[in-house]
Amino acid sequence: MRRWPRSLSQRLALMFALGSAVLLGAICIFLYGSLAREIAWRDDQALAGRIERMRALIDESADLETLRRRPRLYDNMLGNRDSLLWILDDAGQVRIAVGPSGFNAPQLPPSDGRIALRTIEGRPALRLAWTRVAGADGHLTLIAGRLLAEREQMLAAYRLRLGLALAAGAVLAYLLGLAIAVRGLRPVRDLAGRAAAIDVRHLSQRLDTAGSLRELDALRDALNGMLARLEAGFAQLARFSEDLAHEMRTPLNNLMGQTQQALSRARSDEDYQNLLVSNQEEYERLARMIDSMLFLARTEQTAAALVRVPVALQELGDQLCEYFEGLAEERGMRLLNTASGTLAADRELLRRALANLLANALRYGEPGTTITLSSAVTASGIEIAVHNLGPAIGAEHLPHLFERFYRCDPSRQGAGESGGLGLAIVRSIMQLHGGEVRAESGAEGTRFVLIFPPDTKFVVDSS
Amino acid sequence: MTILIVEDEEKTADYLRKGLQEAGYPVQVASTGHEGRQLIAKEHYELVVLDVMLPGVDGWELLRLLRRSSGTPVMFLTARDAIEDRVKGLELGADDYLVKPFSYAEFLARVRTLLRRGGVRESERLQVADLELDLLRRRVTRAGERIDLTNKEFALLHLLLGREGEVLSRTTIASQVWQMNFDSDTNVVDVAIRRLRAKIDDPHPVKLIHTVRGVGYVLEARA
Repeated sequence: MRRWPRSLSQRLALMFALGSAVLLGAICIFLYGSLAREIAWRDDQALAGRIERMRALIDESADLETLRRRPRLYDNMLGNRDSLLWILDDAGQVRIAVGPSGFNAPQLPPSDGRIALRTIEGRPALRLAWTRVAGADGHLTLIAGRLLAEREQMLAAYRLRLGLALAAGAVLAYLLGLAIAVRGLRPVRDLAGRAAAIDVRHLSQRLDTAGSLRELDALRDALNGMLARLEAGFAQLARFSEDLAHEMRTPLNNLMGQTQQALSRARSDEDYQNLLVSNQEEYERLARMIDSMLFLARTEQTAAALVRVPVALQELGDQLCEYFEGLAEERGMRLLNTASGTLAADRELLRRALANLLANALRYGEPGTTITLSSAVTASGIEIAVHNLGPAIGAEHLPHLFERFYRCDPSRQGAGESGGLGLAIVRSIMQLHGGEVRAESGAEGTRFVLIFPPDTKFVVDSS
Repeated sequence: MTILIVEDEEKTADYLRKGLQEAGYPVQVASTGHEGRQLIAKEHYELVVLDVMLPGVDGWELLRLLRRSSGTPVMFLTARDAIEDRVKGLELGADDYLVKPFSYAEFLARVRTLLRRGGVRESERLQVADLELDLLRRRVTRAGERIDLTNKEFALLHLLLGREGEVLSRTTIASQVWQMNFDSDTNVVDVAIRRLRAKIDDPHPVKLIHTVRGVGYVLEARA
């Protein structure tokens, strides 16, 4: 199949030209048909008139001889070389023949007194009119004929002219269509130009609504939506880089400061050892931060890499409780796992999310209380919750808890802290699962809830 | 038992060489891909540690070359831990990989594993000094006295005993004992070690579990 041109205006012009050609063609065919019918009708009228005049002549003349002696009369009457005339008697004998030679009187069915018409196909083609009249010495058949060649020639010339006009019309229609399309598509080019003018530094700009066309609104809205998302993503990225730089400054500052201080004079081996151990802690902090950042960058960038398997929640909870048991006991806390059922999720990621939540609960929970890991099926989906008792988180912090590097208390910063990425990772893991994480905090403690969408495969334990 | 290190970053090559030499392995260092290629063609090595990003001939190329001629174990080091990179390395026939930054203890442990691979079968009874662990009966005794351990304490002791004399990082321990395959900033491992010590070491004058500051833990009988 031939490909359409790549240019929209050319395509439109071509369609316009095709449409015009079809329309013009139909009109040409109609006009030609009418003309041809009109000419044929007139010719027939002329033939019939000639028969009538012949009949009048025969009526006036005493006999055929008288008629034959006035050949000029028919000459004048017939007037041109296209016309033929025969007068036959009942025996089929040609009594009078006028016109170009070489034509024999045709065999025709008898006429009932009215004028009959017929076209004789052949080379050359003839149109005949005939009738039977009573003459002085018996009945006569009058035949008037006309050669169709001239008419055909004229019509053929007319067809040719029509065809040329049609072609010229189509070409004109194409050019006209092209001009219209180019002109009509100018708003699209303007829109493209305005969109192209928006670069990284002007991401806050939007394509204006003023003077825009209704058809382009959808495109413009889509572009504006894309710009909004780009701007948000870009702002997030910029904020993120800035945060990262800030967060790296603290450990780097410790590293540089304490190393320079230690090197400022000779020290004991133990001092050097202490310095190296302290440095090691800072390095690990940096490495963890980079790891977490990479993890976040990857999970946010693609929706891939989810390995969903059936995860027995009770078993996973028990494993996690076992892991944190020692830590909990040291703080005088207890871990209680009431989660149950089997959920289709990425085991490693779910483990990581819950481990982060449990570590958080252990960090901020009141000593002597119990941390509960539970699961429930609700209208909004499958929920896994970690609950701890302890000082409530201020309502103003709740919406920001899951942002990277967010700290409720900006002054609190220690090497043991999660570096402000733990909860961001939890959120990111839940986004990968198509779910979300929510935090509630009040007098009855703090609760972090992982919510998996209702269509996640979940099997309730049978017992 | 010579180990070849192909690494263009001078500091990295230097500390890896020092570390492996201190652990008792003869080491050669190549700082470019070309040099590495020449050495590989000429000598036989027990293990090749390969940086992937090398000037000239890169690590992948060397790995292909190595695999064509020998079954020498290869560990590759990379700063890019994109999954495709790891897959590529393992597909090309590398035996192990480490993503920078890695812990030195982790590196040494993996080197030992690679050199040991196909070697000793793990025994069912492990012993260091007067501490004994019977894997089949799940029993631990010290100086003939039975010690009761929880499942995880048993697993932890088994890991330390099985890798006697090796310094194990917290990450390795968390991953081997609790399947926590991500760096956690909690001190769970320290707490677990503390509890294990309370049962194994505290009642006895000779201590077996030692802290290597900034690195991890090691179980060994020290004179």
